[in-house]
Amino acid sequence: MTSNRSAVLFALALLAPALIYILIIVAYPLVDTIILSFTNAALRPTYDWVGWANYQRIFTAGNFTEVILRTFVWTFFSVATKMIIGTLGATLLNAAIPGQTVFRILTMPPWIVPMAIGIFMWGWMYNGQFGMISGLLQNFGVISKPWPILAQGSSAFWATIVTDVWIGVPMVTIYMLAAMQSIPKDLYEAAWTDGASRGYRFRRITLPLLVPALLTMSLLSMIATFNSFDIIWILTQGGPSNTTTTMIIDTYKTAIGSRKYGEGAARAVVICIFVSIFCIVYFRAVRKLSQGEAK
Amino acid sequence: MSQLSLKRLEKSFNEARIIKGIDLDVSEGEFVVFVGPSGCGKSTLLRMIAGLEDVSSGEIEIGGKVVNDLPPVQRGIAMVFQSYALYPHMTVFENIAFPLRVEKLSTDEVNTRVHAAAKVLQLEPRLQHRPGQLSGGQRQRVAIGRAIVRQPKIFLFDEPLSNLDAALRSEMRIELMELHKRLGSTMIYVTHDQVEAMTMADKIVVLDAGEISQVGSPLELYHKPDNLFVAGFIGSPKMNFISATVKASDGTTTTLDLGALGTIALPRKATLPVGQTVTLGVRPEHLHLGAGDFTLNVTPNIVEHLGIHTVAYSTLPAGENFIALFEGAPDITEGVAAPISFRLDQVHLFDTAGLAVY
Repeated sequence: MTSNRSAVLFALALLAPALIYILIIVAYPLVDTIILSFTNAALRPTYDWVGWANYQRIFTAGNFTEVILRTFVWTFFSVATKMIIGTLGATLLNAAIPGQTVFRILTMPPWIVPMAIGIFMWGWMYNGQFGMISGLLQNFGVISKPWPILAQGSSAFWATIVTDVWIGVPMVTIYMLAAMQSIPKDLYEAAWTDGASRGYRFRRITLPLLVPALLTMSLLSMIATFNSFDIIWILTQGGPSNTTTTMIIDTYKTAIGSRKYGEGAARAVVICIFVSIFCIVYFRAVRKLSQGEAK
Repeated sequence: MSQLSLKRLEKSFNEARIIKGIDLDVSEGEFVVFVGPSGCGKSTLLRMIAGLEDVSSGEIEIGGKVVNDLPPVQRGIAMVFQSYALYPHMTVFENIAFPLRVEKLSTDEVNTRVHAAAKVLQLEPRLQHRPGQLSGGQRQRVAIGRAIVRQPKIFLFDEPLSNLDAALRSEMRIELMELHKRLGSTMIYVTHDQVEAMTMADKIVVLDAGEISQVGSPLELYHKPDNLFVAGFIGSPKMNFISATVKASDGTTTTLDLGALGTIALPRKATLPVGQTVTLGVRPEHLHLGAGDFTLNVTPNIVEHLGIHTVAYSTLPAGENFIALFEGAPDITEGVAAPISFRLDQVHLFDTAGLAVY
């Protein structure tokens, strides 16, 4: 019994640094946010427990449901585009072409350039008066007057997605390229020996073997996109008329802008629940996949 | 007519010449083994025949037709890879059916051919499993199955048994030989394992640094090696080599000075220049305990008793390693000098250039 207990203590001692780290960095802020979401905390020095009131308010009053829907649409289009472009890009970069290394390096700038600088650059391009996009379209006669892309709700929404895709594609490309390169060359040689065309090999070997990587990258990209703050904030601050306000922007505006910490915390908890659901779905899918492999 | 002909075949990677002008004919139904040490070019040669590597110069003919520029699928070959190259996400059935699906054969035809191959390879109960659930031997069989269903003219095997443990390897060796008998197809098999080469081949091609060192039946290579390389490569334990100087050579007898070991007179038709440094070769299994045609006194450093055999390791006065293999358990002890002899007709002689002298 004693030796058993000392073994447990020893194990705990070894785990302690990691446990303490997780408790301070993850658990404490999470628990604190959850507690805060049940209070009416604001700028006042004291606050009261309000139960589910914050949650009731965000789902009944205001436009939070609309914000949730918008966030999902934003995330879906952004992630889907990133995954498609990234996977296609990786396929091209994986092909044996001359100057392969140069092309691989050329995919990196959006990722290497400090994010804020990249976003400002897009902000200028979107500008109606001196922006490149509006200017080019006018030059080619597609539009007749300046088009302030970020000043109109519908175009601003898609413009933020385009910028998010531009920033996110290199990571997807590099990740998918690494996944493609981890597929043994022998499999392709065997298929080539059997007469399989390039397209057939991609469809029957590359794609199925990429599924785990596609799943992982989609989840990571989904979490990052769902919580993407800086792109929208720098380009539009959620405007015009909230047309680019996603859950994370809404949370920031409520908690920091309006100083309603309690309500903001409730919104943050809702985001956390959504992201957790993504993770559960992902882990289930991965488990199912690995079971399928073993069957 | 030969089914496969290689004519002055060359392969270079940038500056490096890997295959240096190979000429070879393989007849229909032959089991040919390419053997040689790592880096000798045997796998490259096989991959060139398969169409996985371009030919730098020379010609590959299959069935009388030059196939240099044909893709693998049009060459009438099927290849079994060292790693098996099974598709991990597909069932055994789908793995075997893969080439047939590429050919777009009807479902019935695919079923018939896959089941026929599975029956031959005893894989029927495993058809719905995935490669990850199979043993090494079963994976190997799936890889062979995928080759069989294509009904190729020539099977190419690239070190197919090297990932298996010793027991399974000898089992699979026998299975492959039985398969060859049953199918009667031409098989080209690459290995670095001379036991595989000796046991399986109708014809062995010994490769050394991108060139053919010798082509022949296993027993030809064993009894009449053309050069030092083949003599040293074929046979286990390795042939003993003793350095010697020609004392006299008259076209019937060549007398050699073996230094501290004395002199030896060998019947040889060739005349060698007096004073030339040559090499005498004796296989460990051709040594006998006790006096004989030529007797040396050696003191074993280590004696290994293997039951069926006894192996004695010693060092000759000139510093050469000397291994003797005796049947059973003769009376030989570490550190105790013993007379060891060999018959003169079992001695090999190689000139300065390393070529056999008969």
